[in-house]
Amino acid sequence: MKNVLTIFKKEWDRVIKDKRLLFSVMILPGLMIFIIYSFMGTAMTSLSAPDPGNIAIVNPTEGFTSIYALPDNENIDNIITIAASEIPTYMTLVDQGEWDLIIVFPANIESNLVDGYQATADIYYNGNESQSQTIYQVYRGYLDIYGKALSYQLYEDTTVLLYNVGTQPIDEKKLMGTIMATLLPMLVVMFLFSGAMAIGPESIAGEKERGTMATLLVTPVKRSQIAMGKVASLGVLSLLSAISSFIGIITSFPKLFGEDIDFLSIYGIGEYAMILGLLFSTVFVIVGVISVVSAYAKNLKEAGTLITPIYLLTIIIGISSIFGEGANASWWFYLIPIYNTVQSLIAVLTFDPNITMYMMITVMANLVFTALLIVLLNRMFNSEKIMFSK
Amino acid sequence: MEAQVIIKDITKTYILSKKQQKIERVKDKRKVAVNGLSFTAYKGEIYGLLGPNGAGKTTALRCISTLIKPDSGDIIVNGHSVITDPEGVRQSIGFLTSDLQLEAFFTPNYLFDYFARLRGVTEDIIKERKKQLFEKFGIDRFAEVKVGELSTGMRQKVQIAISLLHDPAVIVFDEPTNGLDVLTAKVVTDYLTELKNEGKTIIISTHIFSVVEKICDRVGIIINGKLLLTETIDEAGGTEANLENQFFELVASESEEA
Ligand SMILES: Nc1ncnc2c1ncn2[C@@H]1O[C@H](COP(=O)(O)OP(=O)(O)O)[C@@H](O)[C@H]1O
Ligand SMILES: [Mg+2]
Repeated sequence: MKNVLTIFKKEWDRVIKDKRLLFSVMILPGLMIFIIYSFMGTAMTSLSAPDPGNIAIVNPTEGFTSIYALPDNENIDNIITIAASEIPTYMTLVDQGEWDLIIVFPANIESNLVDGYQATADIYYNGNESQSQTIYQVYRGYLDIYGKALSYQLYEDTTVLLYNVGTQPIDEKKLMGTIMATLLPMLVVMFLFSGAMAIGPESIAGEKERGTMATLLVTPVKRSQIAMGKVASLGVLSLLSAISSFIGIITSFPKLFGEDIDFLSIYGIGEYAMILGLLFSTVFVIVGVISVVSAYAKNLKEAGTLITPIYLLTIIIGISSIFGEGANASWWFYLIPIYNTVQSLIAVLTFDPNITMYMMITVMANLVFTALLIVLLNRMFNSEKIMFSK
Repeated sequence: MEAQVIIKDITKTYILSKKQQKIERVKDKRKVAVNGLSFTAYKGEIYGLLGPNGAGKTTALRCISTLIKPDSGDIIVNGHSVITDPEGVRQSIGFLTSDLQLEAFFTPNYLFDYFARLRGVTEDIIKERKKQLFEKFGIDRFAEVKVGELSTGMRQKVQIAISLLHDPAVIVFDEPTNGLDVLTAKVVTDYLTELKNEGKTIIISTHIFSVVEKICDRVGIIINGKLLLTETIDEAGGTEANLENQFFELVASESEEA
């Protein structure tokens, strides 16, 4: 055990004391992700939020104004009142693409309201201009609401049920969880793998290639202890690297989804503990696989070549989270490494009631896989064919 | 005399890869590097394994160090068999060869502590041994310089210090003066003699006659993986010239046979 710790410490120092390596493994991934996602977020918001529209209204009414000017709507459009005589001028502007929308209400629409009264609002927009079309659609929505409101008033129902229109009651927590569940599992697996990939091959294939592993192998230290020490430290370092990536993505959330959507607070300590537990059990499987492949490879370059397809495979497994409804319900799927992590993460993020069972199977399976990989690594370290092939 | 290292009829065959076959220009996939080698090294002597490049010296020493296993035969080091008790062998041996490297990123100081701890040396003994060995080889001034930034000679001295940190009973050095300047080489050979006088068993390999003649008590001449002769330096004639003559005669008769 003491030897495992000694080896752990050396592997740890190799990364932590090397400023360049420390930066590229611990800081760069988070920084890159933050920059990329913030940029993506900014680009997405500028796509989804149209430019302020120009709207001219003839005979505006109090009721209609109260709909589009509701504080929640954050209406940034330029809305003006014009006289009927100005309509032709503005129609020309709309045709030229310089104005977006004209709404003409009949005069005194609200005071003329009696049973059987029908008012027609004239609308004019430019179907060839996307901005004009978007603005039309938005205001067409407001007009529909206004129309309904007017008819309620007619039956002397003073409660204007604006918010019931077209709105189904939805479980916001569940919805946000589903969004997280499609986004995060793939990233988690990618972050863990890329962190392990940045240090694992160097620590095993690199040491083998340069002959520093041989120096360790002529000491009486048990090969199993070397295997455990290496896998343990690589695992912890990869986890830290993944956490750096996480901080990157979490800090870019406000840019990605808007300031007021708080994804992080929908989860409690229980969920976060489970996520961390999943990461911890998964990272050792990943590091184990990378270590075995690196030990098998003749040199660092070959290790990279052999690991790349495995990386792609894990990404494909990660992408599986985008398809399918929630977590896989068959328990035996949770015996498959990586896939079990992805599915368990989905279960945690979507508040699946079976999560405890999924977690248990996943962690147990990962533990068994890690143990098997360490046994395999130990045998490889004992094999002169593998350790001293040229 | 107490037999400390007994090499019993060992054979080692490498399987060459396609690439190696091309480089070596051979059709045969199998390369017999050591062929029925036997010799014994006694406590308190320096045994020299003398032979040309490719004779199988490094392979034989790697077998003694347990880095690789002989295909047949056995080696007993300090009472431990390399086949059945490799860990016991590793405990008793200090091994130096060019295949063993130190991590360029770390300092001699760090690596000394690291390997000493892995060998179970206690902290005060580590301090004491480090002071002694670093002084001996003039490493103290470079103790905090990364190994990657050291000169070849200094790096080799650090390697020697680390291979001896556990005060092993048996010392196996493969071409210990290779790549060293004459002054450094002398520090190394002098130290080996000192260790011999302390009662250690030392096996070195070399292709340099003068090294054998200067420090070895007995010499074995190895050619094509076979040990052709073992004798004391006195029996060999005692001088570098005599040793050389004998060596070339052996090479000539060996190539006639082949
Ligand atoms: N790992 C290896 N794989 C294949 N052949 C090897 C390997 N190591 C050494 N050899 C071959 O074995 C023979 C003996 O090599 P070696 O023991 O290094 O000789 P020496 O140390 O006396 O120069 C040489 O022909 C060499 O090419
Ligand atoms: Mg050699």
